[in-house]
Amino acid sequence: MTRYLLDVVENRSIGEYERAGGYQGLGKALSMEPGQVIEEVKKSGLRGRGGAGFPTGMKWMFAAGDPKSPKYIACNADEGEPGTFKDKAILDENPHLLIEGMAIAGHALKAELGYIYLRGEYLKEKDILETAISQARASGYLGENIMGSGKRFDVHVHLGAGAYICGEETALIDSLEGKRGQPRLKPPFPVNSGLWGSPTIVNNVETLANLPFIVREGAGRYVRIGDPGCPGNKLFPVSGHVERPGVYELPMGTTLREIIYEHAGGIKNGKTLKAVIPGGISAPVLPPGLIDCPMDFVSVQKQGSMLGSGGVMVFDEDTCIVRVAHRALEFFERESCGKCTPCREGTGWLRGILERIETRQGREGDIRLLEDVSKNITGNTFCPLGDGAAAAVLGFLMHFREEFAEHIKNGCPFGPDDLNPYHYNPVQP
Amino acid sequence: MKNSFGPGALALLNEIKTKYPTGRAAIMPALYVAQEEFGWLMPEALEAVADCLELPEMTVRSTATFYSMYRHRKAGRNVIRICTNVSCMVLGARTLKGVLEGLYGVAPGGVSPDGRFSLEIADCIGACGSGPAMLVNDDLHTGLDAKKIIEVLENYK
Amino acid sequence: MISITINGKKINIEGPSTILEAAKKNGIDIPVLCHHPALELWGGCRMCLVEIEKMPRLQTSCTVPVADGMTVYTETPRVVAARKAMLEFLLINHPLQCPTCDKAGECALQDLTVRYGAVAGRFEEGKRTFPENVDDPIVVRNMERCIMCTRCVRMCDGVQGAFAIGVVGRGARSHVEPFSGGRYNCEYCGNCLNVCPVGAIMSRLHRYTYRPWQMDKTVRTICPFCGVGCTLSLEIRGDAIQKVSPAFGTGVNNGLLCGRGMFGYGYVGSPERLKTPLLRKNGKLEPASWDEALALAASRLLEIKNRYGGQAIGGIAGSRCTNEENYAFQKFLRAGFGSNNIDSVARLGLLHAQNLLEGVFGQGAAANVIQGIPRSDAVLIAACDPTRTNPVMGLQVRAAAKAGKKVVTIGHAQGLNRHRTHSLPAAFGTEGIALAGLLRELLRTKKFLPGENPELEAAIRGFELPELEEVEMLTGVPPAVITGAASALKDAATSSIIAGRELAASMDARRNFMLLAAIGYILNSRFFLISENPNEQGLIDMGCAPDILPGGRPLTLQTFRERCEQEWGGKLNPEPGLTLMEMFEQAGDTVRAMYIMGENPAFNLPGRKKVKEALGKLDFLVVQDIFMTETASLADIVLPSKAWSEKEGTYTNLEKRVQRLRKALEKDKNQESGMEDWRILAGIGKRAGLNNMSYAASSDIIGEIARVSPLHTGLGLEDLEEDGMMWPYKGKPLRMGGRVPPLPSLRAMASSLDAARVVLEKTLFHSGTLSRHSGALLDIMSGPEARMSPETAGQLGIPEGGKVKISTADGEMVLKAQIEKGLPAGAVFAGNNFGEAGSLGLFGYHLEPESKTPVLTVSDLKIALFEGHIP
Ligand SMILES: Cc1cc2nc3c(=O)[nH]c(=O)nc-3n(C[C@H](O)[C@H](O)[C@H](O)COP(=O)(O)O)c2cc1C
Ligand code: SF4
Ligand code: FES
Repeated sequence: MTRYLLDVVENRSIGEYERAGGYQGLGKALSMEPGQVIEEVKKSGLRGRGGAGFPTGMKWMFAAGDPKSPKYIACNADEGEPGTFKDKAILDENPHLLIEGMAIAGHALKAELGYIYLRGEYLKEKDILETAISQARASGYLGENIMGSGKRFDVHVHLGAGAYICGEETALIDSLEGKRGQPRLKPPFPVNSGLWGSPTIVNNVETLANLPFIVREGAGRYVRIGDPGCPGNKLFPVSGHVERPGVYELPMGTTLREIIYEHAGGIKNGKTLKAVIPGGISAPVLPPGLIDCPMDFVSVQKQGSMLGSGGVMVFDEDTCIVRVAHRALEFFERESCGKCTPCREGTGWLRGILERIETRQGREGDIRLLEDVSKNITGNTFCPLGDGAAAAVLGFLMHFREEFAEHIKNGCPFGPDDLNPYHYNPVQP
Repeated sequence: MKNSFGPGALALLNEIKTKYPTGRAAIMPALYVAQEEFGWLMPEALEAVADCLELPEMTVRSTATFYSMYRHRKAGRNVIRICTNVSCMVLGARTLKGVLEGLYGVAPGGVSPDGRFSLEIADCIGACGSGPAMLVNDDLHTGLDAKKIIEVLENYK
Repeated sequence: MISITINGKKINIEGPSTILEAAKKNGIDIPVLCHHPALELWGGCRMCLVEIEKMPRLQTSCTVPVADGMTVYTETPRVVAARKAMLEFLLINHPLQCPTCDKAGECALQDLTVRYGAVAGRFEEGKRTFPENVDDPIVVRNMERCIMCTRCVRMCDGVQGAFAIGVVGRGARSHVEPFSGGRYNCEYCGNCLNVCPVGAIMSRLHRYTYRPWQMDKTVRTICPFCGVGCTLSLEIRGDAIQKVSPAFGTGVNNGLLCGRGMFGYGYVGSPERLKTPLLRKNGKLEPASWDEALALAASRLLEIKNRYGGQAIGGIAGSRCTNEENYAFQKFLRAGFGSNNIDSVARLGLLHAQNLLEGVFGQGAAANVIQGIPRSDAVLIAACDPTRTNPVMGLQVRAAAKAGKKVVTIGHAQGLNRHRTHSLPAAFGTEGIALAGLLRELLRTKKFLPGENPELEAAIRGFELPELEEVEMLTGVPPAVITGAASALKDAATSSIIAGRELAASMDARRNFMLLAAIGYILNSRFFLISENPNEQGLIDMGCAPDILPGGRPLTLQTFRERCEQEWGGKLNPEPGLTLMEMFEQAGDTVRAMYIMGENPAFNLPGRKKVKEALGKLDFLVVQDIFMTETASLADIVLPSKAWSEKEGTYTNLEKRVQRLRKALEKDKNQESGMEDWRILAGIGKRAGLNNMSYAASSDIIGEIARVSPLHTGLGLEDLEEDGMMWPYKGKPLRMGGRVPPLPSLRAMASSLDAARVVLEKTLFHSGTLSRHSGALLDIMSGPEARMSPETAGQLGIPEGGKVKISTADGEMVLKAQIEKGLPAGAVFAGNNFGEAGSLGLFGYHLEPESKTPVLTVSDLKIALFEGHIP
């Protein structure tokens, strides 16, 4: 199979990257009209890899169609979804791929400036990116006159500071503007009014990293990779109880089973699979019976979950699902931005109920209560974060209801409890 | 004003400002500079940022307190940020916390009595594939267990 | 035209609208918590969810715009269930303290819980706790009650532009705080309190004193503090004002207030209010009966008139008195005693400014609606700071800046430091020269003049304007800055210009206003003149000036005199009288007696020592006031009058809008007997045997005004019910204008840029005499301060928290130093608000020859660190 995201170059040097065909996509793009580049991306059927799977070409068309200028390219490198570390792999191993992708986007959108919103913990990647950016500037791929085309494009890295919600595209924009990273009202959408009110496209790292290949090799070749409805390769970061955790570049539509058992080496220490979260912590859990599901946006959704970021989290037979659920809700509670009522108040409530179930204080009716509170959140939040939290809880309840009931009756069956709920260091002073 | 930026930090801040069309957009990087310069974001540090970017102090504080990586109280010489999110948790991250408490007397959100470490609980640091993981200052350490964490931390004085 | 269906009812809507607005206009009530019509859309609380056909999710009606053909349901079982769920979520952390919470009875959360039914308490984990914070003298914060609607913060940042409070923290732990976490460092507008839907931020002034349902009545009236004339509601219980609340959707202020209006009402109930008339007996003021006092006043005034003639009596009308009272006052002196020595504090600048502008453009040149300011493409702030003197007008300027309009300031305007696009920081006193530079640039770059007024254009072309380099030498403003500002202004299709006393109380007033008029003409500007006191405009319109009759008509024109003579009976003296300062200068000489109504010249005028001496030289001095002011204490007779909330009448604001004052209290609990100022005049008039001074009610007087003043012809109280009435009412403006005298040479004007100077400061929290009796305003700012920039403090060697001694030829005072960023270097600001430390005591004056406006002077200034105790 073709790999074009990872494993392309031995090291991160720009020379290696160029020798492997790097920046040829940009060169080709610059020889095309911006509209033609957008057309090519539309033809490729590329769908966003940040989680929502929105068709990239369409997003670009909307932004290009807005008469306002300047326009901005914002690369979403916030990668905050627990269980997800695929963008990091690109940044670590192939940073020029992202830079080239952004420059192509810049040309297509007639934008002159791009920002990479990088999650705060990725300090090593910040250095890598900044080195790569200065190499690209020195080699004329960024700056005043890129590849002699007379076009300008430059990229800055903006370091986040620990807020999952800033991965949401409008929160990302507010955060980049120096505000509290809370989602904005839509409409207007970022393609019309994003950074500083200008048309802005927000694209995931992996999405942008697909572009050099698409432009260089042509949409015709691209659509033959992966799933016909959703072409291309996808990065699958696999974590948890597997023999070989890591990031795998595989065609879109590879089954979960193949990912877990063939690529990630199966369950660690010869144990059996108990559950798998297919797309980062916001994606509802799947039981072993459903792992023949192909990993693409449509198929996973059919199973009641979602492809999300593609972050596969694998749990073996000894994992306490209630504890996992509780930990997930601790995360959502802490990461809720606080803007809307159901998420701000509801995530903490869910966490509290799960906490008492896990610490032998569960009561009759707690399962119903969990469902009820989750349903009251669902569909009523400002942004998908709150919905995701509720969906996660409902997923755990759907497939592991007995385990919750058992906890309520007899306490946690998974041996001595190391849970000892800690208090977070509060976000506030 | 008690605190103000030294010349190095000011040069850095001036460079940061050139990257954005508004002063406000420079808040986040400027807060990192202030954190580096003053150790943590005491009110004077926030005032210094506000001053430098010509912004209302409250705007800076409001932004600063939204994000968990800014420190709003005195920190130890080394800041440990240990991930306990699901992927790291199922691989045993929570036991590490006990180790740290026992060995250095530092609890989550606190500073060890000797001021050597402060401990923060992180919510996923993007190292799920090689957990349990932690950041010590700017360095990532992965594949931790009770033994390895002590080995690693012994390098931080 | 968009048509939609809400709950089965067809509705047509003009123009863009949200579902919520459309529903509201059609009487359909959708509950809201985070939404507020004055604030930016938010959509956070999720209370206003509604069902829209073809949309799977419920939608927030406060944010979703209506679209043609939309079918909306606002109260389906699904919607009701969602709202109940949101209430349940909110009550998780909200304490159930309604029995002790001041907000109970007017709390949106409580009302909604009643409307949708209380939810069973299924939440059993502990609530989030925050200690109640009472570090601030005015605001109490109870963050346990906060529902994170962020209305207060959106008000503070988005509307008030003060950026004083913000959300701190994230998620369920977020809460609202000022930067310090304790005391507020803000403008104390109180607008945050007014938009809080629950009891999370409340005023301490009325804490635990009443419940909303115990209020006897709510009276809508006009604020007594400045010339904006904000509408506010007084909540009355028993004999006291419990609270001032604004009324969103009404008045020139549309629900916004400043700290003075919001918290300053306390003076009304001050125990220091004058209670009985006082007569000077053996050198001491002693209580007397009304009868005795009025009779004595009448006989002494008559005596003086008979002995020296009417012109020996001078009168100062009151800028806080109503139109009716001021009208009665000038009539009392003119018709009753034959004196035209009538003047007021409008002499300190407003009158001259207005005359100069009207000379060019005609009467009513500055009668414009302040809500138009944010709609103009550009706003030019000429040497004033509306955010301090007329705060709610200042908000309109900030709104313009927020809307992306060009805001250019000339000179110092601290309150606009964050709200302007261009600043021409001309040194104090040289702002007019900066205007000349600006005009030069506008003429150079703007290709054509509008052509509407050829005479004016010819005059403008004849102006001799200085080169920008010369302007820089005189003002310190670099040419590039002027060029930048001019290019920002030149393309504005509409613009607003705001100017105040600073340019008018100047030896160069004529030059300043001719330049301003020229700029305004080129830019198609609307003018706004700062008016510091609530009825300053009314003073002018009622004829409280030596040469003006009611309606702003010249005394010297016989037709107008005749009109008054007919109504008043008797002949009027055709000779204009003395102006404000002239009366004092001639006291004891040609002027033997003075009648002062509601003003405090012994404190509020420059040359304080001389003014006091002058008052001492009079044979007879009558003062009407509500407090024992510096002036009253020198009087022979002191007559207690009523405060603004105790009387009916009208005020005219700086837009020239006539608005109604409504009586809220019969008498205040601390006050035994005061009389309306007009009633006192009528009482004396009757005892002096004057014709036509007998009125039974204030409304009788407005009836007379409508007959006498051509401007107010036919005006009646019924015309003023809602938001008052805008110029030119139903009457006729005076036709004049088109006079553009040549521009006086600029070169004569020297200025010194380097000497430290003392600047008379307009304090946001105090107005002077009245505010000193408002407990809340004293809590906010308790005493006099000398404010200065860190650079100035450094130059003068004054440390943080130190004291400064300022002395001049006219006086000296010691003040606490307040070192603040954002102030211009080389200036020390001191307000004229507190007793002996009132900074006007440092200033002398010269009279501008044309208008007799006193121009402040400072001689022998010394500013130095003071190390002793403030006496
Ligand atoms: C709560 C939340 C968190 C998100 N986090 C991320 C993220 O970390 N990285 C990312 O690329 N997209 C994230 N997204 C998706 C973005 O909103 C957005 O859809 C994406 O960046 C668009 O890029 P794409 O079209 O290239 O996928 C998140 C969305 C939500 C609602
Ligand atoms: S669902 Fe609401 S509170 Fe949660 S993150 Fe989104 S906007 Fe913020
Ligand atoms: S009122 Fe609409 S969301 Fe709060």
